[in-house]
Amino acid sequence: MFLKEYITDVVTGVISLLKGMRKTGYYFTHPKEIITEQYPDNRATLLMSDRFKGEVVMPHDANNEHTCTGCTACELACPNGTIKVVTKFETSPEGKKKKAIDALVYRLELCTMCNLCIVACPSDAIKMAPNFEHSVFDRTKLTKVLNQPGSKIRKGIE
Amino acid sequence: MNTSTIIFYAIAALILGAAILAVTTLKIFRSAIWLLFSLVGIAALYFWMQVEFIAAIQIVVYVGGIVVLIIFSIFLTQQSGKEMDKPAKGKMIFSALAALFGTAFTINLISHYGFNNISAAPFNPSVDEIGMQMLSTTSHGFILPFEVVSMLLLAAMVGCIVIAMKPTEATIVHLNKKED
Amino acid sequence: MFSLEGITTNVQDWLLMKFNPTMALAIECVIVILLSISLFALLGLVLVLMERKVAAHIQIRLGPNRVGPGGMFQTVADTLKLIMKEGLVPDKADKFLFNLAPFVVMMVGMLLLAPIAFAKNFQIWDISIGVLYISSVSSLSVIGILMAGWASNNKYSLIGAMRSGAQIVSYELSAGFAVLTIVVLTGSLQISEIVNAQQNGWWIFKGHIPAVIAFVLYIIAVTAETNRAPFDLAEAESELTAGFHTEYSGMRFALFFLAEYINIFIVCAIGATLFFGGWMPLHIGNWEAFNHLMDYIPSSVWFMGKTFFLIFLIMWFRWTFPRLRVDQLLNLEWKYLLPISLFNLLLVAVIAILGWHF
Repeated sequence: MFLKEYITDVVTGVISLLKGMRKTGYYFTHPKEIITEQYPDNRATLLMSDRFKGEVVMPHDANNEHTCTGCTACELACPNGTIKVVTKFETSPEGKKKKAIDALVYRLELCTMCNLCIVACPSDAIKMAPNFEHSVFDRTKLTKVLNQPGSKIRKGIE
Repeated sequence: MNTSTIIFYAIAALILGAAILAVTTLKIFRSAIWLLFSLVGIAALYFWMQVEFIAAIQIVVYVGGIVVLIIFSIFLTQQSGKEMDKPAKGKMIFSALAALFGTAFTINLISHYGFNNISAAPFNPSVDEIGMQMLSTTSHGFILPFEVVSMLLLAAMVGCIVIAMKPTEATIVHLNKKED
Repeated sequence: MFSLEGITTNVQDWLLMKFNPTMALAIECVIVILLSISLFALLGLVLVLMERKVAAHIQIRLGPNRVGPGGMFQTVADTLKLIMKEGLVPDKADKFLFNLAPFVVMMVGMLLLAPIAFAKNFQIWDISIGVLYISSVSSLSVIGILMAGWASNNKYSLIGAMRSGAQIVSYELSAGFAVLTIVVLTGSLQISEIVNAQQNGWWIFKGHIPAVIAFVLYIIAVTAETNRAPFDLAEAESELTAGFHTEYSGMRFALFFLAEYINIFIVCAIGATLFFGGWMPLHIGNWEAFNHLMDYIPSSVWFMGKTFFLIFLIMWFRWTFPRLRVDQLLNLEWKYLLPISLFNLLLVAVIAILGWHF
């Protein structure tokens, strides 16, 4: 009885080891399975996943209009003070004063790509972009203003 | 003096030098290492004599077995890295005297009998001959000592197992009762 | 046909013609030393690159591919870096033994090179006790590791050295038994006779299943003896940082690293000699035409091919299996490998006595 257990122990052990070796042997003999991205060489064809979070951007449409209302929800949501919303008051043609953004300052060097600001935004004014090539020689360049110069809020967004 | 003699004296110097260092160094681990060099030197001497089998056995048994065991026991002792105290004067005198008497005795023996010159054909037993002799039951066979030594080793191994065995619950209870 | 045998006899004849015998012997010694050192350097470069490439392909990566075509000169660059690095010695280390240990490990590798037959009649020393010489000298390598671990004056190193010692001492047994099965079949310890006995077929084919079992046991045991994964407890990076060579840097570290690969080469060369016929081409029984065709491939190519196949096998193990625990390691040796190899040796003895092998 003991001998039978011993032999089945050895045989099952050997079989499980061979299974593992078969898998790695398969990968060794099939170079097309290789998943390495040769990054600087394949920059032109590099495909980034949609869900990749590289930086916060503010999309503008063709009329240089965005949807940010300056509500500062993103600034409040940010855990480490990455976003600073500078607001101003615009006077509309009807003479009404309206809050709008002067600048949405985004400091990339502080950002942890946690996505909380995007979730917090009520008007989908900001989103995550897949760009990851952020290195610069001067760190002041990492402080960005997200709204383009002369941009306005799109009509109908409150 | 030909090359062979020079090699002999070089090996002999290595053996003796390592042996002296092994007993004079104050660090116990270094002492083991010098002992190892001395034993390797003896194996080299066997190679010089062209009795390769004995040389290989010398390395397997003394260097690979005994010195490794010694090193292991040094590792397991406390303060193995510290320098030991210098031995007491009395001890030193005593051991010097013992060594002196040993040397005197050996020199006395050699001067009485000298080295016999064996001019016979070179002594070169093959491994099968050694094996056959070891297990032969004829008048010059070594079967009895061989088997007796294996009994001794078996006894030693059983002893090791007994020491290393975990006491079962029953024996612990038994021992406790005895103490009461 | 190109053969190394011709070159060695030519060199010897030429030397004997020019110098007196003692001088010729001395010059031959120097040539052999230079050849073996250059072999070591070359093997180090090739095997490290091979290891990295095999590892990468098994893990679906590309591996080094920047220095030279396909990363060919990566190890050359690494070696240059290691040569230029500062070799630090810890303050409270035993300086003498600390410096000695890498050389002891390397010297054992060099001594082991002596009886290996690289090609037909191309061998440094065809010693009559060949296999016994190898197993006895390889037991010295543990000394270098113990020395390094102790002299570093570091807890990790000491633990690594002790583990390594326990491991090498116990796995030497089943490696020895696996070697003995072939010695029993051949009836000789001499390497040249073991190779010649495989003229009509390699032992792994001629020796039936016991030879295959012995081969498997041998490969497992030598993987453990060379401290490679899955038996790399002595230098387990994740537990002991690097085990016995934690404190080593620069050239001394390079020597340890080189010695590891040299040891792999040597054990694989011995495995190839014992089980796959060394330099002997693939011969099948009495198929004259086939055997003759195989003889056209030089014997050195056969030897290197077999050795590198075994090296690849060991690398394959390394990148497939996870590391064992200490108790699992000792269980494997004392409860599985040793009883199986004893039983296997008995079986082989019966086969050899009754003449059942081909």
